[in-house]
Amino acid sequence: MSFPQLQKFSIAAARRFSFVFYIEYSSTRTSLLPSLPEKYDFRNTNPSAQQMSSINKHEENPQITPFETPSNDDFFEKMLSAIPNCCWPNLSSSPKFSWDANLGHHTALKSRDRFCPAVDDPDATSVDCHLDEAALLDSASKLSDHQINGVDSSVPKSFLLQQQLLFSKGVGGGVGAEVFSGGYSGLLALPLSLANGDSVDSRLLDDRSKHGSAEALYNGIPGSLHGNGETFHHRKAGRLPVQNYETPTVTVQIQSHGGASPGGTGTVLQKQRVRARRGQATDPHSIAERLRRERIAERMKALQELVPNTSKTDKASMLDEIIDYVKFLQLQVKVLSMSRMGGAAVEAPLVADISSQVADAGWRRNAAQTAAVGANDNLSVAEHQVAKLMEEDMGSAMQYLQGKGLCLMPISLATAFSTTTTYCNPITDNPHHQSSSNGGTSGGGNNHNNPLLASNRETPASPSLSALTVQSSAVGKGEGGGADAHVNDSTYAPKPC
Amino acid sequence: MNPHPSSCSNGRSIRTRFARRFLRALKKIGSKGSSSRPSPRDISWRCRRVKIAADASMASAVGPRRVWSRTMLNMLRSRSHACLHASRLGNSRRPGADRHAVGKRKRLVLKRKLPNRLGLNQVNQLRRLVPGGEAMDLDILLDETAHYIKCLATQVKVMRSIVDYCSA
Repeated sequence: MSFPQLQKFSIAAARRFSFVFYIEYSSTRTSLLPSLPEKYDFRNTNPSAQQMSSINKHEENPQITPFETPSNDDFFEKMLSAIPNCCWPNLSSSPKFSWDANLGHHTALKSRDRFCPAVDDPDATSVDCHLDEAALLDSASKLSDHQINGVDSSVPKSFLLQQQLLFSKGVGGGVGAEVFSGGYSGLLALPLSLANGDSVDSRLLDDRSKHGSAEALYNGIPGSLHGNGETFHHRKAGRLPVQNYETPTVTVQIQSHGGASPGGTGTVLQKQRVRARRGQATDPHSIAERLRRERIAERMKALQELVPNTSKTDKASMLDEIIDYVKFLQLQVKVLSMSRMGGAAVEAPLVADISSQVADAGWRRNAAQTAAVGANDNLSVAEHQVAKLMEEDMGSAMQYLQGKGLCLMPISLATAFSTTTTYCNPITDNPHHQSSSNGGTSGGGNNHNNPLLASNRETPASPSLSALTVQSSAVGKGEGGGADAHVNDSTYAPKPC
Repeated sequence: MNPHPSSCSNGRSIRTRFARRFLRALKKIGSKGSSSRPSPRDISWRCRRVKIAADASMASAVGPRRVWSRTMLNMLRSRSHACLHASRLGNSRRPGADRHAVGKRKRLVLKRKLPNRLGLNQVNQLRRLVPGGEAMDLDILLDETAHYIKCLATQVKVMRSIVDYCSA
């Protein structure tokens, strides 16, 4: 995460959790803090400035130093000056230190590499420890008074910084999250702490109805930082680096980003301005819109499963596939209903119509896969049948073939197919073409039968095909008249056989 | 009945229902014409009848639960009424209807070449394809399309098996 990003994150977190800090402290002070998990029970640890500083020493300074050291004093002064008389009673250095130290300790326990850089300036932090504590407490109180969010950056930079230092040390679960209301690199720990400290946070945030915000933060850490940073940014009266000022635009969004996550309600913190989560909105219309879009996407996925052999995930192309498939199925029903009756002559116009539709739909792939006609098994039987029918009436023969999903094809073409293709359907090939008058129709009929009813058998039935060829040639007299038409029509066919 | 209105997962039940109705209709149609060499007109009429029977039996097998089946049943009913009236006046109406449908398809094909913006073109096409899809929201339309596709596939399977059985 780049530093500016960290910054934003930290600022947002600071905003969000500044009040948490306050609560935490107050409860600590008043010993009201209920059953905190042991790891979070920092109250008992023995504080010491040295401990604090030593802890701080672990954490790096690189990320913070550029900002902290030069501006720490300013930040603290600002914070102190900005803080009104708060309700932090009996702020003594030791309790503060203990608290901070404990927090820092705890955070350090769970410190991660990312956070290491956060607090690495022992000198800077230790020196300012007492100042920080007071400032933090004051700022926290101020924050609580000012609703923390975007009112005015009552949270001095140092305050946030301190929190970040403490937080970044290890993000000891919710405690870290609570404490860490700002900071820069330490904010990285925020997601960790948030993830870990759900229970703690909820307890601590209960009284402030911050639970939602904590959740929001958990859910929308990247965004929430901005939300916090927004208010923080306000406070930074020009003392902060320029980078901080970039956050407000983002923070604003993220503030509500976190707020919207709990349930899209948007109101996370008490008196916090409701802002839309990034990419989402909080008003009912957009929520309904979002739900609708999700429903549509879900149904598109279901449709994708229905349409065979589609690898498209794009919505537009998926719609194309769906449309083609529906057309294809309707076409199949039509052809199948025709296959049982009628003659070739009558079929011709209908078939021609179908062929044009098929040509336009370009439905080849699916046709090849779905139009499996179970003619493979009784191929020889069909052959005989076709031969018989052809002697009587070409139309009925065509009908029969169409019913089976087969077509007539010149032998030359069939042999070319059988030798070159990997998958094909055993197409009954018959060089015996109809008279020229029927040639067109039969060609047309063959045409759409090919794309429509090609079987999806993978193995080429070359042996059977050649047998067919031989047999057919024996039966009929090959005519080259319709060959051209067939060749042209065969272009519509799927993988030839 | 089908416990899953959103899916033909109980395709077996829909399949059997459809098969039964369709076979019944086919029997009726078969009994009407008996000449060995039916005239082309009769053949085309029979083809249409078969297709109508297929659609009607499918729609009635699905039941009025689905928008598309309801629309289809209404369409068929109105068409049959129109045909009845037409038959009284003469048998000139049916081919006209068919030609009209053909023309409609060609128009549909032409429109497809327009530039596609936000998939609106395709959505409109889909609306035209699915019966009753004109007045549906997109999500309902997609739902109906899914069910329609399932039932069409069932229809094709049944019809093909019938053809295979008859011709084998």
